[in-house]
Amino acid sequence: MAGTGTAHLRPEDETLLRVQDLVVEFPAGRRKVHAVSGVSIDVRRGETLGLVGESGCGKSTTGKAIIQLPRPTSGSVRFEGTELTGLSGKKLRDVRTRLQLIFQDPISSLNPRRKVGDILAEPLRIWRRGDRSEQLAKVREALDAVGLDPDVAMDKRPHQFSGGQCQRISIARALMLEPELIICDEPVSALDVSVQAQILNLLDDLKERYDLTLVFIAHDLAVVRHVSTRVAVMYLGKLCEVGDPDAIYESPAHPYTAALLASIPVPDPAVRPDDEDVLGGDLPSPLDPPSGCRFRTRCPRARERCAAEEPEMRAVGPDQFVACHFPLVGEGGDGAGAPAAADGDGHADQSARAAGSERADGDGSDGDGSDA
Amino acid sequence: MTAPTESETLLEVTDLRTRFRTPAGTVRAVDGVSLTLDRGRTLGIVGESGSGKSVLSRSIMGLLPKRNVTCEGSIVYDGREISSLPPAERRKLWGADMAMVFQDPMTALNPVIRIGRQITEGLRFHLGLDRRTANENALALLRSVGIPEPERRMKQYPHELSGGMRQRIMIAVALACGPKLLFADEPTTALDVTVQAQILNLLARQQRERNMAMVLVTHDLGVVAGRADDIAVMYAGQIVEKAPTATLFANVRMPYTEALLASIPKLDEPRRTRLKAIPGRPPSLIDPPPGCRFAPRCPYAQERCHREAPPLRESEPGHVYRCWYPVGVEPRRDGAADRTDTPTPTGAR
Ligand SMILES: Nc1ncnc2c1ncn2[C@@H]1O[C@H](COP(=O)(O)OP(=O)(O)OP(=O)(O)O)[C@@H](O)[C@H]1O
Ligand SMILES: Nc1ncnc2c1ncn2[C@@H]1O[C@H](COP(=O)(O)OP(=O)(O)OP(=O)(O)O)[C@@H](O)[C@H]1O
Ligand code: SF4
Ligand SMILES: [Mg+2]
Ligand SMILES: [Mg+2]
Repeated sequence: MAGTGTAHLRPEDETLLRVQDLVVEFPAGRRKVHAVSGVSIDVRRGETLGLVGESGCGKSTTGKAIIQLPRPTSGSVRFEGTELTGLSGKKLRDVRTRLQLIFQDPISSLNPRRKVGDILAEPLRIWRRGDRSEQLAKVREALDAVGLDPDVAMDKRPHQFSGGQCQRISIARALMLEPELIICDEPVSALDVSVQAQILNLLDDLKERYDLTLVFIAHDLAVVRHVSTRVAVMYLGKLCEVGDPDAIYESPAHPYTAALLASIPVPDPAVRPDDEDVLGGDLPSPLDPPSGCRFRTRCPRARERCAAEEPEMRAVGPDQFVACHFPLVGEGGDGAGAPAAADGDGHADQSARAAGSERADGDGSDGDGSDA
Repeated sequence: MTAPTESETLLEVTDLRTRFRTPAGTVRAVDGVSLTLDRGRTLGIVGESGSGKSVLSRSIMGLLPKRNVTCEGSIVYDGREISSLPPAERRKLWGADMAMVFQDPMTALNPVIRIGRQITEGLRFHLGLDRRTANENALALLRSVGIPEPERRMKQYPHELSGGMRQRIMIAVALACGPKLLFADEPTTALDVTVQAQILNLLARQQRERNMAMVLVTHDLGVVAGRADDIAVMYAGQIVEKAPTATLFANVRMPYTEALLASIPKLDEPRRTRLKAIPGRPPSLIDPPPGCRFAPRCPYAQERCHREAPPLRESEPGHVYRCWYPVGVEPRRDGAADRTDTPTPTGAR
């Protein structure tokens, strides 16, 4: 299996979670959706790993595959030294108490017919943790920890709460069994900015209070940078770049990371949006991903080698790793042989991009067409 | 280019009020909004979910539901009062005068009609073009909004296209008859950042080429900061601050605007600093607070704020805000806002 490499993984005994060469494919008629294609990530105790990328790149699929929902097509997931892909039944459920996933859509993942107090107490009842009064005390503590008044919230049902409050309830539910690690799938994407900041601060507080390790999935790079101690950027089922957020945001090595950063709207009128840095084309179809580097159809630096050979993850800094043949940073080697576009030759740049976007478009619509 | 005799002002809205009667009570979705827009300029409307941005745009367009709605106030478009026109007359303005790019392109495009016909229909109806000319115009339009292989796209249905492509089609449909005023209602909210940037640049380019005025609605201050000439901030159905973009960012007056800006995580801040969240959430539009609508969440609120609704005041030409104790005006006590407001030096940071 041609993965994107594991150069960025740290020694296994230092990590709480270690995912290696994760592959998830979904059947689609006689073809396959290549949702996650050889992703490796690890998380140390106490870290917050930010997993970022655009819609459909496989972030949620990765999060779900980690808790074996569904089981990945191939690859390894080790949590606290235990391999999860082989586990089943009680053993797997037991691990899931320490490894929680907060689903992307908090409102639909809360049972609308049940009271919030019951929703939160349910995991305690299932796992027979404490007697009724202890369970009640725990529910109240969790509600209080997420900033909801237990007296008011306990007896209401989810639809009586706003989006931000439902997100708090999902977080409280994830806390009930005192997990080691929580995977938060886009916990703030559906929220207004003013409420988003409340939830981000809350997660930060809870992390301190309960010694949590977090995997934080999001598509907003500013949010990810804010919360993360390590960042992994995904594109179309593969990792592009992994490492220290300061290094990556300061000088992105992967052309996709650079394009993502350049696309973020900045709330400052002095920063004029620039046509030059904008990525052309659309995401290719995951039914038929491009050969070689999956980003090549939209990449301004792409050359023949990018179509022929898949780039492997390699170090370009003390804690910065990139899967690209022609990264934007890096000592000598491939970087020095970067295409003319890198030297500011606007025309070469434009034509490479135009060709790229057309190809991207072709791939995408063909996939869509025969699927329909 | 505009003819010298035409007035610069294209749109002037005064004291617009749109209400919905619902079983729970009357929703005051737009509550006394006034604004003006010059030809070729861009007004950014920013506000959180439910603040009334879409209803405001729809009220001006004349695109409200037929039942259980009242809409009062004056809308002068191109020198003509249009708020009192019958619906059939209002509809005649759609296309060649004003057009709208909707929040969700999938619901706005007709799923069972091919892309080509969705564009040519307007051209034939509004501009009276014959089929062949309409087709040629549609192809040119699709090309101008960056759609590759337009001939093939014309024969496709909306579901066969990606989100970004559908939004381009929506823009092509909206631009087809050369409107003087375009409402872009969160045209990129459903899209990824890289595609969002493509679409916003496309809108800006089309606007320049056509000298078209644009109302750009968004919940993201970042989206309008570099693109709008003026920005209006909406909160609970009202405009709470409005100013030329550079002025707004340099001299924020309204505490809500200040709080909104402070709550956004920024790329150039040190990591993991605590965000300045706004406590609570926006008020009900059925029963808004009696005083300042932001008072329950405002860090500067004093007794008067809870009692008395602040009027819209001007702090410098073109800069208005709705607050008793505005930011940057000392001392913060009753009547502070009555003093002449000396603007701090504006500066391109
Ligand atoms: N159950 C499924 N069956 C078939 N395809 C699926 C399934 N779940 C996900 N996919 C596909 O796998 C790819 C990755 O989806 P995923 O939901 O992981 O993306 P994501 O990065 O979480 O996107 P978003 O930001 O929109 O949440 C997409 O192309 C998606 O359509
Ligand atoms: N047809 C309707 N009937 C009753 N209430 C409505 C109707 N349309 C809108 N509203 C209410 O009017 C208020 C303003 O809605 P509007 O859609 O303008 O908000 P918005 O600022 O566009 O929000 P968003 O950012 O979520 O699009 C909301 O409280 C909404 O629930
Ligand atoms: S330069 Fe090549 S390898 Fe690097 S991102 Fe672009 S296409 Fe991929
Ligand atoms: Mg997802
Ligand atoms: Mg809206």
